[in-house]
Amino acid sequence: MNHPIQANSSELQLGSAADKLLRYGAAVGGGGLVVALIGAAIHTDGWRRLQFAYLTTFCYFVSLVLGCLFLVALYHLTRTGWGVVVRRLAETVSVLMVPLAVTALPIVLSVIAGSGQLFPWASAEAQATDHLIQHKAPYLNATFFTIRALVYLGVWVALARFFWSRSVQQDATDDVQLTLRMQAVSAPTMFAFGITLTFASFDWLMSLSPHWFSTIFGVYYFAGCVVGALALLIVMTRALQASGRLTHTVNVEHYHDLGKLLFGFTFFWAYIAFSQFLLIWYANIPEETIWYLKRMENGWQWVSLLLLFGNFLVPFLGLMSRHVKRTPKLLAGWAAWLLVMHWVDLYWVAMPEVLPSPSIGLTELGCLAAFGGLLVAAWSKVAAKHALIPVHDPRLPESLAFHVPY
Amino acid sequence: MATATTELDLNDPRRRPPLVTGEQDLHSITETVSKIAERPKPPRAWYVAFAIASSLTLMFFSLIGYLVYEGTGIWGNNSPVFWAWPIVNFVFWVGIGHAGTLISAILFLFRQNWRTSINRFAEAMTIFAVICAAIFPGIHVGRVWFAYWLFPLPSTDLAMWPNFRSPLLWDVFAVSTYGTVSLLFWYMGMIPDLATFRDRATGKIRKMLYGIFSLGWTGSARHWSRYEIAYGLLAALAAPLVLSVHTIVSFDFAVSQLPGWHTTIFPPYFVAGAVFSGFAMVVTLMVPAREFFGLKDLVTMRHLENMNKIILATGSMVGYAYAMEFFIAWYSGNGYEQFAFVNRAFGPYAWAYWTMVSCNLLAPQLFWFRKVRTTPWMMVVICIFVNIGMWFERFVICITSLSRDFLPSSWGYYSPTKIDVLMLLGSFGLFFTLFLLFCRYLPIVAMSEVKAYLPDAQPHGDDHH
Repeated sequence: MNHPIQANSSELQLGSAADKLLRYGAAVGGGGLVVALIGAAIHTDGWRRLQFAYLTTFCYFVSLVLGCLFLVALYHLTRTGWGVVVRRLAETVSVLMVPLAVTALPIVLSVIAGSGQLFPWASAEAQATDHLIQHKAPYLNATFFTIRALVYLGVWVALARFFWSRSVQQDATDDVQLTLRMQAVSAPTMFAFGITLTFASFDWLMSLSPHWFSTIFGVYYFAGCVVGALALLIVMTRALQASGRLTHTVNVEHYHDLGKLLFGFTFFWAYIAFSQFLLIWYANIPEETIWYLKRMENGWQWVSLLLLFGNFLVPFLGLMSRHVKRTPKLLAGWAAWLLVMHWVDLYWVAMPEVLPSPSIGLTELGCLAAFGGLLVAAWSKVAAKHALIPVHDPRLPESLAFHVPY
Repeated sequence: MATATTELDLNDPRRRPPLVTGEQDLHSITETVSKIAERPKPPRAWYVAFAIASSLTLMFFSLIGYLVYEGTGIWGNNSPVFWAWPIVNFVFWVGIGHAGTLISAILFLFRQNWRTSINRFAEAMTIFAVICAAIFPGIHVGRVWFAYWLFPLPSTDLAMWPNFRSPLLWDVFAVSTYGTVSLLFWYMGMIPDLATFRDRATGKIRKMLYGIFSLGWTGSARHWSRYEIAYGLLAALAAPLVLSVHTIVSFDFAVSQLPGWHTTIFPPYFVAGAVFSGFAMVVTLMVPAREFFGLKDLVTMRHLENMNKIILATGSMVGYAYAMEFFIAWYSGNGYEQFAFVNRAFGPYAWAYWTMVSCNLLAPQLFWFRKVRTTPWMMVVICIFVNIGMWFERFVICITSLSRDFLPSSWGYYSPTKIDVLMLLGSFGLFFTLFLLFCRYLPIVAMSEVKAYLPDAQPHGDDHH
């Protein structure tokens, strides 16, 4: 292997930036926590709102991390060559599932406490009086909910660590067998991933409105995961390049391809969202339309329209241009926009169940800062330990020399 | 080829295996593909197959004549099952076409270069499948001579328009767009190869016909440049069609309020099922074709294995959709929805349901084994099962929900007539007739595209695939 890659060159290491990220991340995260608690104290129905804001933000970051795990598995499943240079970034994000798993604790505790503040089905009163919730009790009950959460998070942590540890092991050993092993595991990974992600989205988001149901809901959450993960990768790559890292490894062709995928999955999200909406609107059955009805009045209709335009139509037009996809600054701008919109998407899914009309308060901002800051701090620890690209991946030369002849 | 060495090469992540095997150069590829259409007489098997297929086609068209004369009463369609085999066959055939579009558009956009050996073949199947598909709703309207009312034509004697809110009308647009774009894509991609046939042609008639259809192609740099641009544009246009056509077919069912039909996962579930059945059909036909026409070096075991992996992936997506439907039927607490699914699995059509489950869910799971993925007869058997299963899937969806809806007093049991069975058989005859003619007269492998991925054609060697 005679490519000019030096794993310890400053361009491929997070180096001194790690400390800075750790300090700032921890500060923002700690500050965010305080802000969220203040919000809970001052907003009307603040503690309940905090639980929702917490859940929304948790599901948001879980989606980004899961999306990265999906991309890592997809890389191996399809034996991807072109994008090996950005795979390590996805791997470093995917192992953030370890700290995220811990943050699921308050959600599980809220269910076990049985107040029904967050999930209406968890309250003893609803269980005693609501016929539909009684019907669903074999699935929607605190014990099974907790067991399932442990299974999902356990599976994701195990998978993320599997790919991560073998990838960094390859940095040291140059062992081709590791790639073959990861390829072999990637296909069953997709099975485990698909099933856990679907039921997690049912548990954590769909059951907020426990009467409502939609078979496509898991796919909807999945579509958001992938859009979010691709957008995150683009933003991270751009930020690292702006700081003088990855400048000789990631080129405009990689951005172009990431941009095409982002464009495609933005479309896919809209396709799934539209399928769900159209079929429910068309059949007009009250038990299904109730969910959309809530999101079409009292100001929520503006959030719905914001999603339609902001998460699909406008970025669809924006990302269609070849020029945009090949200009890292512009592409990263769109990616950052889509990261925000993806949060709005989950806000739109969860928050109408607690807020009569949309508003962004200290609880939401505080949770976002708390999760974001702490995860950035954790990321800096993970990313600093190894090179920013898989330096001995057997397909790295293909990725480094990547250019599209047409 | 020594299989031991190829397997090692295939699995070595340090280098990309060559797309075609044997000592291929530009000339040998031209020879291999062209001589299929140039030999004065095709193999005896072709004649036998053509005799059977064309007889079935003749029967198909005779039955259509009978239908037009006698009316749709010759079918088993009757209260409460008014949508029966014709719609099942329509959905089945539209689905078969999807492999071609996926291979030519989406795999092209993903730069999956292995698709070059199989795209022509699969695209041709798309066209033929769409033809078979379009016939069924066309004759299902009853008064066939008014079928043009499907289109929103300014009406002189009716003073009305089709219902623009109906997905049945969207189907007319979706399928006709799909057919048009697929035909253009297939034909345009074939022009350079038709020109090769023209240049090699010996007979006057052949030279003239290939000459007309190759549109004066000379292979100049300017031609190629325009060809590449048009190809990319058509691929980008066709990519959403892979999703849209079967999405709208699924809307035909899912916009209703009927239990078993109305469920939000239908659109992506139908698309996955369509790609699944389409690939199964490609493999079913590709395995014998590469055998008979000596294409084993161009359509290698790796191509077949890749297709089998796609079948496994899309088959599992279909299984996921089945599981979601079942789970949500229970979770929703809706008694009618629950009944619809219990009725499918244990009601009078349980035989059809379990045929579907074993063919669609269980059979493709055998593709987890490399041995099965790489043994021609095994993959053909599984792929035939898949196609049976996918036909039954549409049967189960269509018939079980209609035969037992909300009111037990309006329940019924549907049975097809002999005519139903013969017309399904006849549509296979039409499909195979067109397919056999394609094998006889047209370039069945995209020579110019395969050549572009020969090692010699890559100026920078192994790093660029």
